Amino acid sequence: MAKKKNKQANRGAGTVSESSKMRKVILMQHQKAKHFKCNLCPRRLNTAGGLAVHIQQVHKLEPENLPRIDNALPGRDGYEVEIFGMEGIPAPDVADYKRRKEIELGLNPGSISQPQAKRPKVDNRPLSEDELRAQLEAHKALMGGADKAVATQSADSSGAVFGAPPQAYAAPPVPAASPPVVPPMGMPPPGVPPFMPGMPPPPGFPGGPPFGMQGMPPGPPPPGFPMPPFPGAPGMLPPGMPPFPPGARPPFPPPSFAPPGMLPVFSPPPAVTPVPSTPASASISPPPPPTFVSASNQSMIPAPQTAPAELKLPDPSLSQTNPPFKKPTELKWSDPNFSPEEKRAISSKYSLSKDLTNQAKSEGQSTATPPYEESRGKKRARAEDFL
Amino acid sequence: MAEQFELSSPPFDSISTVRFSPTNPSHLLVSSWDTTVRLYDVNANEQKSKFDHRAAVLTCCFSDADHAFSGGLETSVRELDLITEKEHHLGQHSDAVSAMRHAKDPNVLITGSWDRTLRFWDPRAPTPQQSSHTVPERIYQLDLANHTLVVAMASRLFNIYDIRKMDTAAQTRESSLKFMTRALACMADGQGFATASVEGRIAVEYFDPSPEIQDKRYAFKCHRQTIDDVDHVWPVNALAFHPIYNTFASAGSDGSVSIWDHKLKKRLRLYNKYHSAVPSIDFNSDGTKLAVGVSYNWDDGEDGSKTAERPSVFIRAVGDEVKPKGWTGN
Repeated sequence: MAKKKNKQANRGAGTVSESSKMRKVILMQHQKAKHFKCNLCPRRLNTAGGLAVHIQQVHKLEPENLPRIDNALPGRDGYEVEIFGMEGIPAPDVADYKRRKEIELGLNPGSISQPQAKRPKVDNRPLSEDELRAQLEAHKALMGGADKAVATQSADSSGAVFGAPPQAYAAPPVPAASPPVVPPMGMPPPGVPPFMPGMPPPPGFPGGPPFGMQGMPPGPPPPGFPMPPFPGAPGMLPPGMPPFPPGARPPFPPPSFAPPGMLPVFSPPPAVTPVPSTPASASISPPPPPTFVSASNQSMIPAPQTAPAELKLPDPSLSQTNPPFKKPTELKWSDPNFSPEEKRAISSKYSLSKDLTNQAKSEGQSTATPPYEESRGKKRARAEDFL
Repeated sequence: MAEQFELSSPPFDSISTVRFSPTNPSHLLVSSWDTTVRLYDVNANEQKSKFDHRAAVLTCCFSDADHAFSGGLETSVRELDLITEKEHHLGQHSDAVSAMRHAKDPNVLITGSWDRTLRFWDPRAPTPQQSSHTVPERIYQLDLANHTLVVAMASRLFNIYDIRKMDTAAQTRESSLKFMTRALACMADGQGFATASVEGRIAVEYFDPSPEIQDKRYAFKCHRQTIDDVDHVWPVNALAFHPIYNTFASAGSDGSVSIWDHKLKKRLRLYNKYHSAVPSIDFNSDGTKLAVGVSYNWDDGEDGSKTAERPSVFIRAVGDEVKPKGWTGN
């Protein structure tokens, strides 16, 4: 799904640890394998630009006709943006991603995207008496046990103490998923469902200082957590709806040559001649082109007596067999003796009865010897009825 | 860069042949399995005229600016007057007409058929059929370079004739490719021809039978893709030489079109894939455009036709990519 940035947001450049280096390597492996892989050969490139140059120079594809980058986010399958690992992601995209992550995790706006300076510096020291009192006040205020004046006052004082963003208390928070919560020990770690103080903490939430985890969600969002709506740059498609590749069109069944209204005339034998137009295909296919005169329509339908068509080799001594392949191979046309056109010509949709062939001849001023004398007669007369 | 566009009124069923006029670089003839032959003016993107047949049309060609010929499953050979839309029935093969070319000198139409004959026609004569020549196998393709006629047949056979003396074949060859012959085109300079098989491979061959020239012939793989360690190999359906630069284009059932320099043995360009197989391509007379017929090619039989996409004809303006490297204009 997400391209390039589906790993952890790059937090705090100063905290480059072993694991973040590892993540970088994994990210680059992912990019090479999923996004910057050449479709035409096994080659994997590090960046989109590298891939573009490779395809142009090695495979001679036109620069303006490069294939879209695989598995990319909609709108990001071009070659304009040069991303290498975590570097080179356009700033708007980074901001966009962080905002999305915040909404997803139910954080306050800015808790990821703003600098870390907001983080309280007094986290680990024991709380003083005053602070404890202030906290209690704040808690009472929030629980509605105190009057407004106390609440504002305590909020004011506690704001300085906790260093928490004031809007967490004052303004009702923008995302509904972040309720005003004053936990006993400063800010809640992001990503943890809100709980009320006084209640036992949910299992798995240690009472100890959770601050080291800040900004790092414990794993993926909980199951059932609704994915936030895709913020979407202009022109983006909603997720889950693959964009149509350029030039592709919805399938279009070839027009059937026999309008249903004409079929009763023929009463084709059920076993031999399949009716060319099935109801299903008729319903989606456009009406038969008006340019088909009825004569040509009828000529496309095999005559009732046509035996199941079969291709025979005119000279069996020249019969061919395909040589074996050294590697596993899927040969798209594997008949060594008959071309696709020959197979197509005998299919019920296209095969032309010999009677009609003869008639075509007799209509023209041909001087060639009539090729199919034996098939004249009754069948011929019936064919003429149609025309 | 809008370097290709689609004709606005394509045939309703698969395209069998696209062929540009020998004199007018914007006139294109398209024959189709929908039983029609259509003439387009590609610059105006409009259909100029249309000819209905009794059955699918497999092949067509121009004779001059205003006349063309057609042949197909109905086995007869027709002359088409492109101005008046009148048709003239020249005669008949005893099986489908699969390929045709018009020769300027002598002024003659050459048709090949699955009935294993090669026939010569003069549309102005009271008896249009001039001669019939039996060949060992069903004719799949034929092409002409000056007086040299190359006939590609089933069972991987090739006959090469001098059309001024048709009593015997000048050369008979077996294909250097191991699979069924699918496409054939003579070089613009008349030195040789290229042929392609259903097994994604193109061979370049020369007419001159001397050993040193014959040593130069070669074959190479194309129109294939490795997916999960399995080689997917598509037929190469059409070849066309550029009338000026003598490079050639190949088109395959994989929907791709490539330009090759057969002297340097290099690919010059691989165009973006089309939505379906490419059964036929042709350069126009001044070499500025390439017509690309795109439609289902029966590679999966009748089942495939049910899900096939609508046929289309693309006209692609070609630029320097068809020029060999270091072309000085000889």
